[in-house]
Amino acid sequence: MNQTLRDPREVMREEMLMHAPILAAVAEEPLTIPQIAERIGHPAPEVVYWVMGMRRYGFLSESGDADDDGFFAYAATGRQV
Amino acid sequence: MDYDVLVLGSGIGGMESSIKLADMGYQVLLVEKEASVGGRMILLSKVFPTLDCASCISGPKMSTTINHPNIKTLAYSEIDHISRNTHGGFQVTVREKAKFVDWAACTGCDVCQKECTVAVPDQFNAELAPRRAAYIAFPQAVPKKAILDRSGTSPCIAACPAGIKAHGYVSLTRTGKYEEAFQLNLDATPLVGTLGRACYAPCENGCTRSQVEGTLPIRMIKRYVADEHYATHEGPGVEVSPPTGKSVAVVGSGPAGLTAAWQLARQGHRVTIHEAQASPGGYARHGIPSFRLPKDVVEADIANLTAIGVEIICNSPVADLQALKDSGYDAVVIATGAHREAALDAAGVDAAGVVSGLSYLKDSAAEVGPDLTGKRVVVVGGDVVAMNAARTALRQGATSATVVAEAGKPGALPCNEIEYTEAAAEGVEFVFSTSVAELRTAASGEVTAVRCVPFSAPSTSADASEDAEAGETVQAAAAPATASTAASELVADLVITCLGLDVDESLFVELAGVGNKSRILANRRSLQTKAKWLFAAGDVASGLSTITRAVGSGRRAAHMVDRFLKGESLDGFELDSKLSTTKHRDVLARHSSITHRDPVTGQVRLNQQPRDFAEIEAGLTEEEARSGAGSCLDCGICSECQECAKQCPAFAIDMTQRDKVSEVEVGAVVVSTGHKLFAADLKPEYGFGKFPNVITAMQMDRLLAPTRPFNTVLRPGDGKVPDRIAYISCTGSRDKTVGNPLCSKFCCMYSIKQNQLIMGALPLADVTMHYMDMRAAGKRYEEFYTQARDMGAQYIKGRVAKITEEENGDLLVRYEDIENGGGIVEASYDLVVLAVGIQPNRDVENLFTDAPLGLDEYYYVAEPSAELSPGQTNIPGVFVAGTAAGAKDIVDTILHAGAAVAQVAAHLEHQHFAEQEALV
Ligand SMILES: Cc1cc2nc3c(=O)[nH]c(=O)nc-3n(C[C@H](O)[C@H](O)[C@H](O)COP(=O)(O)OP(=O)(O)OC[C@H]3O[C@@H](n4cnc5c(N)ncnc54)[C@H](O)[C@@H]3O)c2cc1C
Ligand code: SF4
Ligand code: SF4
Repeated sequence: MNQTLRDPREVMREEMLMHAPILAAVAEEPLTIPQIAERIGHPAPEVVYWVMGMRRYGFLSESGDADDDGFFAYAATGRQV
Repeated sequence: MDYDVLVLGSGIGGMESSIKLADMGYQVLLVEKEASVGGRMILLSKVFPTLDCASCISGPKMSTTINHPNIKTLAYSEIDHISRNTHGGFQVTVREKAKFVDWAACTGCDVCQKECTVAVPDQFNAELAPRRAAYIAFPQAVPKKAILDRSGTSPCIAACPAGIKAHGYVSLTRTGKYEEAFQLNLDATPLVGTLGRACYAPCENGCTRSQVEGTLPIRMIKRYVADEHYATHEGPGVEVSPPTGKSVAVVGSGPAGLTAAWQLARQGHRVTIHEAQASPGGYARHGIPSFRLPKDVVEADIANLTAIGVEIICNSPVADLQALKDSGYDAVVIATGAHREAALDAAGVDAAGVVSGLSYLKDSAAEVGPDLTGKRVVVVGGDVVAMNAARTALRQGATSATVVAEAGKPGALPCNEIEYTEAAAEGVEFVFSTSVAELRTAASGEVTAVRCVPFSAPSTSADASEDAEAGETVQAAAAPATASTAASELVADLVITCLGLDVDESLFVELAGVGNKSRILANRRSLQTKAKWLFAAGDVASGLSTITRAVGSGRRAAHMVDRFLKGESLDGFELDSKLSTTKHRDVLARHSSITHRDPVTGQVRLNQQPRDFAEIEAGLTEEEARSGAGSCLDCGICSECQECAKQCPAFAIDMTQRDKVSEVEVGAVVVSTGHKLFAADLKPEYGFGKFPNVITAMQMDRLLAPTRPFNTVLRPGDGKVPDRIAYISCTGSRDKTVGNPLCSKFCCMYSIKQNQLIMGALPLADVTMHYMDMRAAGKRYEEFYTQARDMGAQYIKGRVAKITEEENGDLLVRYEDIENGGGIVEASYDLVVLAVGIQPNRDVENLFTDAPLGLDEYYYVAEPSAELSPGQTNIPGVFVAGTAAGAKDIVDTILHAGAAVAQVAAHLEHQHFAEQEALV
């Protein structure tokens, strides 16, 4: 990965800002965190914070089991901002 | 004596002590600083060696604690200090921290946290995931009640004279809740579009982000949500209280009058505005030209009022306030502004072609201004009227517009810096340090030139800003000085005089009296005049000020009128319940680093010699508004967006709550404040905080707990289910390089516990532990270790020297393999777990104001005779239970609490006998 990790406080604060792009990314089909990261152009460790926040507060949920590489896909629940 | 015992901290040691003492009949006060009792144990997955679920064991204890008739539990509370009292006990100052939620009403339903617009790291999930500013500690919290995390009033909110919650609408915009952001503005004023353009944005001067790379575009964000609302909604969409049967007249329809009318109408009063001019808006319509504030924006704002039934009668100058009141109103708000213009004291002022600034601007606003094509215009004076007049003249075709000002330089002009810089950029010329001696006229009676003389007296700011709050009306100090000479004569086809504005007192002088200068005499706080039914708002009370201050004043007056009409006192309450302002340095100190974000700024079109009245500033796009809002640092943490308050079904949110401090007397004290965990980033060779897939064991316990922050055990770097997991024991323990030579006692065992749980949760995972010594000295501990080995966990003896990260986020661990020849070996893992040790919690050492609480050489609470009297400290009557005195697992903590309880009971009984003997 070799990137500098930003202060988690700063990254988590941006969750609200990321709801729209993440919900847009998973609108068509459930995506794994690396796939979401690629779609929205942000590092995967940051996407983990956002996806887990969105999952906790009901915007996303995991769909099915992990794939062969060990990744879960996350889908929109229908909860809107 | 209020309580027999104070127990400090409600972890398993504190709960056990409290319950046992309460069972013996002692009255216990239990004080816990977090929002729930339970301490660290309730956050664990399972406990070794039985693998019982931690919450199944802790839960009943938490519930007994909170429901025991002999225990009074104060969660989310702290002790300020403890001192010895005269009867051998202790005087304790207890602080119940403000929760901003009425716990008696809160049902723990979870709605507030779902609606909250602020995300912060969740300390109850070891910061693996966010929680909200409105939060319930964790699902099994006892009591299960919500808290708003507030750390002061954000500087932007504190700086707004209108009382608008800037942080709130910024966080709503960041969340995409544009309409809610608009509504939050409407809570203060109907003039959202107007303020989004013409406010001088004192909030931005206060913004902490300006200490980093630049302020947020707070004003422009307001403008964005207003434009968005007006483009997509019919009417304001607000609720109005049922009719009160009272009616109020508002005299004047400027920002103060309109805001007062809006607030009063929303309270259910019938409101009529009387306006002398042909159209409403005051200076917002007649003083600020449309290239800065388009008329349709002012009209859209004013339509908010008419939509809720406010009647606006134009061409209705009020000449007698008493007669107005007697015509059927219960109260009157006078908001007539500051409209008396100072006259130019020079020969020739009556010549044709000499006009006053206000009448010139008013005619221009009504599109009956002159055609100035080819004309040379001289503007006398340097205030906001002068700047607007000069820029309007250029747009009407003037070949030149020259401002003649007594001020010696741009910074001394009595206007906001932006007014000057924009005027200069559009080609307005300035002649500084100059007075007008005479206006020369032609035989036909028309002005032809302005004769000037040097002005030598030192120039100070004029009325326009003298009352402005710091930072609100910034003088043009930072503007570059332009060449200036005291010209002797300037050719002029039109002269516009702008020599300052003040209040015309003739309407109110008899009824209310005159205060400072010619302003109305009114109470500064209540805005009530000596005619009790007459309240004053805006410039009429303050002198020429700003739209934003006029709005704030209108809001205040309306609130006071409402109380007056209800027969309530105008004293003893706060209009805007604010906490102390969050300091910039505290906000910055919360962050280890703040990433640069390019500031979002408005695009202002400033052409030389502009010829049209089109708005010069472009609005933000949605992307810019959100991205600009995304720079917010959440200074006060809670943004005061009010979403929780709006949605809470129990109406439990209470922003007015404050810390409650009380004094209690207790007979003895038990310190059971537990421990802290080693900060893993102090071992940089392990890469915690640098590599996302290096986590602590506390984080792993959260990942394994039923209330985990992720859907299962995932690595934080990319959400992958880890296959190869390494543990590194003794991180921060038995390690002199980090100042802790002590063994933390429980890390080996919790690692083995987690090894077993991982193998249960992820059957395909390989678990390897790198250890120095395996410390499994407890009943069934060795068997527990053997069981883990039998399940397939690997244990490699030897220290880990270094961890590096591979391209895919995997971790290369370089370790010593003592049992296989002692060579240095490398292995790759998906996830590394650091078995962090414990550290003393030094929160308590300064609580005791008489004799300091004794600590041992490692800063744990000292037990001077631990072997014979465990639990006793150096202060008679003060005892210690659990890990506050040093490393212990749960079993040992419970045992230690039992010892402390016995000591407390002995102490109290001894005191009791001594007192009885003294009586005999
Ligand atoms: C040219 C100019 C430009 C300005 N630009 C800005 C700016 O960009 N940003 C900013 O923050 N501030 C600006 N200000 C200041 C700001 O406009 C005022 O502080 C604000 O409008 C004061 O509001 P108010 O309601 O007290 O008074 P006003 O806006 O003056 O409104 C008072 C109203 O009462 C009416 N009235 C008066 N007497 C009577 C009567 N007897 N009966 C009935 N009606 C009556 C008046 O006609 C008027 O409509 C500017 C001021 C001027 C003069
Ligand atoms: S006011 Fe807004 S930011 Fe504050 S706790 Fe409530 S919802 Fe969250
Ligand atoms: S950073 Fe955010 S909360 Fe802080 S002052 Fe600026 S806008 Fe307000």
